[in-house]
This record gives sequence, structure tokens and C-alpha cells, in this order.
Amino acid sequence: MIEERQLTLIMENKPGALVRVVGLFHQRGYNIESLHVEPINNFKPYKFIEDELDTKFSEGEISRLEIKTTVDDPLMRQILRQINKLIDVIAVSGNEGTYLKGVLRDENLL
Amino acid sequence: MKLAGNDILIQSLIKEGVEYIFGYPGGASLHIYDAIFKQKEMQHILVRHEQGATHAADGYARATGKPGVVMLTSGPGATNAITGIATAFMDSIPMIVISGQVQSHLIGTDAFQETDMIGVSRPVVKHSFTVDHQSNIAKIIKEAFYIATSGRQGPVVIDVPKDLTNPVDLFEYKYPSEVNIRSYNPPIKPEDSQIDRAIEAIINSKQPVIYAGGGTISSNASKELFELNSYMNAPITNTLMGLGVYPASDKNFLGMLGMHGTYQANMAMHHADLIIAIGARFDDRITNTPEKFAPNAQIIHFDVDHSSVSKIIEADIAVFGQVKDSLQAINSKLRSRLSEINDSRLDAWHKQIAEWKEMHGLDHDLYKNNSDDGPILPQAVVQHIYHASNGNAFVTSDVGQHQMFAAQYYHFDEPRKWINSGGLGTMGFGLPAAMGVKLAYPDEEVICITGEGSIQMCIQELSTCTQYKLPIKIFNINNLALGMVKQWQDMNYDGRHSSISYEDSLPDFTKLAESYGHVGIKITKNSQLKSGIEEAMSIKDKLVFVDIYVDPNEHVYPMLVAPDGSLKDMWLGKGEKT
Ligand SMILES: Cc1ncc(C[n+]2csc(CCOP(=O)(O)OP(=O)(O)O)c2C)c(N)n1
Ligand SMILES: [Mg+2]
Repeated sequence: MIEERQLTLIMENKPGALVRVVGLFHQRGYNIESLHVEPINNFKPYKFIEDELDTKFSEGEISRLEIKTTVDDPLMRQILRQINKLIDVIAVSGNEGTYLKGVLRDENLL
Repeated sequence: MKLAGNDILIQSLIKEGVEYIFGYPGGASLHIYDAIFKQKEMQHILVRHEQGATHAADGYARATGKPGVVMLTSGPGATNAITGIATAFMDSIPMIVISGQVQSHLIGTDAFQETDMIGVSRPVVKHSFTVDHQSNIAKIIKEAFYIATSGRQGPVVIDVPKDLTNPVDLFEYKYPSEVNIRSYNPPIKPEDSQIDRAIEAIINSKQPVIYAGGGTISSNASKELFELNSYMNAPITNTLMGLGVYPASDKNFLGMLGMHGTYQANMAMHHADLIIAIGARFDDRITNTPEKFAPNAQIIHFDVDHSSVSKIIEADIAVFGQVKDSLQAINSKLRSRLSEINDSRLDAWHKQIAEWKEMHGLDHDLYKNNSDDGPILPQAVVQHIYHASNGNAFVTSDVGQHQMFAAQYYHFDEPRKWINSGGLGTMGFGLPAAMGVKLAYPDEEVICITGEGSIQMCIQELSTCTQYKLPIKIFNINNLALGMVKQWQDMNYDGRHSSISYEDSLPDFTKLAESYGHVGIKITKNSQLKSGIEEAMSIKDKLVFVDIYVDPNEHVYPMLVAPDGSLKDMWLGKGEKT
């Protein structure tokens, strides 16, 4: 079904990281309905990522990105998988589940 | 140890085991070239155009499996390389591209020879880096090589502002021994449950086909593929990118599939009850109309890239992971279940395929006709080249009819021997790619099968071949036109030949080659064909350019019927359809 969906990304706050995500939408012909990005200062909700990656986030290092797009299921899955391939993306989630460490978890963890 | 940025960059490349850098210098890369001058471990190959550098590095990478390395200056040097980077990207070839950039304080000011290389190249790279400080150069090089060569491979661009390579400022240098990018985790292990499901499907299938592509080559999994089919005994087809990954001389090999695939390969795919796709991505040149693709087949898809699976054709069973790992996993499980595979289960299927092959298979004996009556058939040219080179040369190609004839009639028994631009279809690829292969394997025969259109897109590299003494063999299948475009115009535009001809303005290629110090051989008659090709092959120490005038009216067949066709809908000859 074609409907509005939200993707949530946790990614490295590096120059050029955002434009890779936005560029991917354009390149693959997906539309962006809305977009919000900001650096993360409260890491509590992301402790599971720190544990999983065996790392510690520090101030200004990562950001959270929310994108709304209107697509059907197969396309949503394809978008998630394409975003998962971007090197600076740590985790991405949507209705298919969450990609973390290149592996798909069934729930939306973000 | 303290080093300047330019030396850190070059020492890091040496640490990565780089043998050759393909490049072209300029203002923004002057410091880097000074560091290249001061070392002996790597050789810099000065090409004649940056596109040539990228294709040469690409050819080197395809033949060896190691990443090719390219060095560019900023602005036009960088943009000239885009076609070659995109070519490598589409075929998932590991490549490191280092581009000089204007000085940091000038970035964003429209400085002389400033281009946003990271921006321009973004859609055609796996990843890119901008060097922000000398002390990060070694780490960036390490990460770039890791990213380029792991997971689904691809090109990585590193943009280096000139001031960060200045020879004056020294920084602590130690090449990192490990790499850890927390946001990037390419190797995934295949899931047992999916392997088990794949085995059930294999055991129960009556009309299986294996469809293996370039990912099987990148993963160096030809041995594992062969083992799998020693258990399955199934018909197997390769994509254009996959040729050689399974021996063409094996009785189960169907030839290439897709747009110009063999009749039996396309028919087998269409009628299969099980398709095992291995390192292949259901490109539109393979599926024809996706809704009509293999209507009765269950699909098992082995791939390293999640986004390739169920992108075009929904997979019933998906095995994610390095193809080599996945095949090893399935092989070891299959080994203990061989008794469940009934040897005669595929008899009817093999018989059907033999009938298809008998009916409309390619004629591999065209070369035996040496009568001077007719024009030279381009197919026969490739057959002669195949026999004269004992079937074990490296063959690069360009794009067009000659490329398809090469793919159809040169039988590759080993992976990495067929080197061509499959995904992007880049004319101009063949000659520079052959240079990269020849540098990697100086003692092997390296052949470029090209067309008079394609060869002129990078013909300046004939000069590079003189400089570095690269005795490759170029066979120019000269049909006096952009043959593949002409074929489409014949078939779809009532023969209106719009802008495909330059007959009166072609150079004498043999004289052109001779002017660079190479040998030129011209062949215009069937009776000269065999001896001319053999003569070329007997010359070992010089580049030979063989210009062969072929029938300008020949078409490539089979050809899938489009639009709206399925894989069983093919043109088999002029006016002849399935
Ligand atoms: C750089 C580039 N431009 C245009 C094309 C489109 N194209 C595909 S095949 C072809 C004709 C190639 O002519 P030639 O090299 O003589 O090969 P032939 O088909 O005649 O064997 C063209 C123009 C392309 N693939 N690459
Ligand atoms: Mg031509």
C-alpha cells in the first residue's frame, strides 16, 4: 500500500553524511516529504547501539535523522536497504525493522 | 617517524601493497608527484587521459582481484575520471581514486581548477573521503582500501587539498595495523535456516538452472560454484559479467543468458522450476519484462548486498553473505545429503535443453569456411581468435556488436579472464583495461576485441603502450559504423541510419598504430583471416593492431524481443522470431 512512512537514522555527524542520504533519495527516484536532523546529546535511548558496536558516543559525534516519504512496501524495503549501505549510517529503521551492523532486526528500535 | 603529508600518502599506498599507480599530474597534485619521484616500490604509469587511468586501474583490478589505484589532479583531471569511476561502480570493482584539490583556504572560492570532486563523484562511488589533516591521511587510506575491497566492492575517492601534502610540515606517521569503522560491518554470515531451505528446494527441483554473475567472481567462488554443481548436475548459465566463473567447456554450461544470450540459456531460464541466482542482480538486460520472467520458478538468491535481493524479482529464499562463504556452507551440508539427490531426476530436463541447443544453438564452426566469396563474418573472427590463442588469453572488450560476439564465441574456462564493462557499457574501456591487465600479467596473452567506434574513444593510450612496452593484441572488428546502434535502427526504425556512420573519415588504423611504433595488420578478405590472426599472435614483443574489415550488415542474434517480451521471446535472425 502506498502511504506516508517514516524512516529514522542514526548516523555519524560528519561533513557530507546528510547529503549522501538526501542524494540517495534523488538518485533512486524516491521523494522526500519532510526531513529533520539534529545532533544527539542524550545517548540513553541508544545505549543498545553503543553496546552492540562496543563504542561510546560523545557529544556532537552522531545525529538523528527523520525522513518522511510516501511509498509502497517493496519500495520502502528497498530504501531501507540502500540507506543501510551508506558507510556513515550506524542504524536505520522503518516498518521493515531496524538495520544495525548490517543485520536486520524485526522491530523498529529507533 | 615524522613525515610530510605527501610522503605519508605515498608510504601508505606502499604499505597497502600497491604496485602500480595510474595517473596524470597537475598543479594540485605536484607535491604528491614529488613523493612518487622519491620512491622505488611503486611504478607510476603516465596515461594520456584520466579516463584511461581509471580503466587501466579497473582492468588491473578485474584481472588480479586487487584494487586499482588512480592519481588525479583537481578540476579537469578529476572530472575526466568520472566515466571510469562510474564504470567500476556499476560492476562493483575495487578502486582507490586519489584526487588533488585546491588548497584548503581556497575551497569554495571558485579557485583555479576547483571542482567539488566529492559532490561530482558521489552517486558513482561506494564512499569518499576529504582529507582534513595530515595526521589523518594514513587512517583514511587504510579505511579506503578496507571499504573498497570488502562487502560489495567498489570505488572509493579520496580528495586531498594541496596544502595538506606540502613537504615542509612534518607529522608523526605510523601505518595503522587495524581498521575499525563502527558504522560499517560488511561481512555477514549466511543463515543456516535459509541454507536448509535452499537445499530442500534443490533436492525437490526437476528443472533447475544456476544463474551465476559477476559477484561470484568478486568473491573468488568459482571453485565452490563448480563443487555445488558437481552435486546438482544442473544446467548453468553465466551473465555477461560472470563469464568464466564456470568453465564454458563443461557439458552443463548453457552459454550466456539475457539480451544476447543463447537460445538454450534463455529458454531454460524461462521454463525453470528453480532458479539459483548467485552473485547476480536480475538486471534488465537479463530479465526482459520482469512480470513475465520465469513464471514457474522458485528463486533462491545468494548475494552479499541486501539491496540487490528482491529489488527486481522477488526471491523466495535469500542467502545473504559473501558468496564464497554461502556456497561453502551449502556445499558442506549438501555433501552429507547426496543420497537424497536422485541422479535421474533431471534426465528429461537435460534432454529438453539438448533439443533447444540442437534447434537454435550458436554455430561455433563458422570459422571453418575460408572461401573468399563472401564478406568476413565478425563471429568467425572471434572464433579464429579463440583458437589462435588456445582459449586461455585475457580478453578485454569495448561496447557494441563486437563485444557481444566476443562474449558469445570466446569460451572462457577461468574467471577474471573476460574483462568488460557490463553495467555501464562504456565505449573506450577495452584498450586501457588491457594495459592494466598486461602490467599485472606481463607473461600472459592479453587481447582487446574492439570496434572502430569504441577504440577511438581512448585511442590516445596507444602512446602509453609504446612508452611502457605493452605488447597487447588489438583486434578491431571494423564494420565501418556504430554497429549496435545501427542494428537497433534496422530493427526498430525501419533502417533509418541516423548518425551511425563515419565511413569516409576513418583513419588507416594500421598506419596510425605504426606511427606509435606498433605493428599494423590489415585484413580485408576471408583468405587472410586465419593467417593474419596467427601472425599477430606470433609477435610477442610488440603491440599488434589488427584491423579487420567485416560484413557491415551483420546483426547480433539471438536478441530478446522488447518491449513486453519474456525470456522465451527472441529474434533468431533477420525477420525470424521464436
Ligand atoms: C561512451 C559511450 N557512448 C555511447 C554508447 C552507445 N553505444 C553502444 S554500442 C555503440 C556502437 C559501438 O560501435 P563500435 O565500437 O564500432 O562497435 P560495433 O557495435 O560496431 O561492433 C554505441 C554508440 C556507449 N555504449 N558508450
Ligand atoms: Mg563498429
